[in-house]
Amino acid sequence: MLVLSRQLNEAIMIGDDIELVVVDIRGDRVRLGINAPKEIPVHRKEIYLAIQEENIRAAQAADAAALDTLQDLFGSTDKTGKDDRAAGDKDK
Amino acid sequence: MAEKGIPLVKIKTSRFGEIEKPESDIFHFPEGLLGFRLVRRFTIVENPKPGPFIWLQAVDVPELAFVVTDPLLFKPDYVVRVQKQELESIKIADIENARVLVIVVVPHNVREMTANLQGPVVFNTKENLGKQLVLQGEEYTTKYRVFQDGDKDTPSENEGGSGKGGE
Repeated sequence: MLVLSRQLNEAIMIGDDIELVVVDIRGDRVRLGINAPKEIPVHRKEIYLAIQEENIRAAQAADAAALDTLQDLFGSTDKTGKDDRAAGDKDK
Repeated sequence: MAEKGIPLVKIKTSRFGEIEKPESDIFHFPEGLLGFRLVRRFTIVENPKPGPFIWLQAVDVPELAFVVTDPLLFKPDYVVRVQKQELESIKIADIENARVLVIVVVPHNVREMTANLQGPVVFNTKENLGKQLVLQGEEYTTKYRVFQDGDKDTPSENEGGSGKGGE
């Protein structure tokens, strides 16, 4: 791993369009500012890993009988669809 | 032989066989889903037994599908707080204009069902774009217990700030 020392308000460029700025340092906590193109997702790693793990779990498990039970259980209180297609029309 | 007009996309699925959807029902995920970065096209499929739980089916990976639902179904105070930049890639100016679904895990025992409230999937239904958000902060978890009663887990863990006054 490449390791670089930076002081407050100094930055690192990753490629031509990703900038990492040290915005604040307090004790053992460092605040970083990230300028990156919008197609580059930036996440805290532990949350990123948790969601990735959950996606993989969700892709594997779906008990068909249990799902049928849920459809009955929640089916009467139909709240889905209210923000369905119409919601998109308001966008700009 | 197909009717003129709307071209249909044939989609092979391991759960529902081969289905056909109009192009207008295909959502493009520029960033894929976390853990499935290269899967970019999804569509919504009704469950064989219809209801509020539906499927987010990968168009190009027959066996990849997620059960999704409206989080307001079981968490009426659910709010997605997100910075505007995170919605730019799906051309949404305001989260109010997006359709928000969450991925649920449905185990054999339904009472152990969980919903990923920290990683909601948002849709721009007008532009047919989609993205999984990663919500910051501690407010929501990836394993929200939909049924919180009669369980050894402490419900407060999932309740966030709303239920502080409880006993």
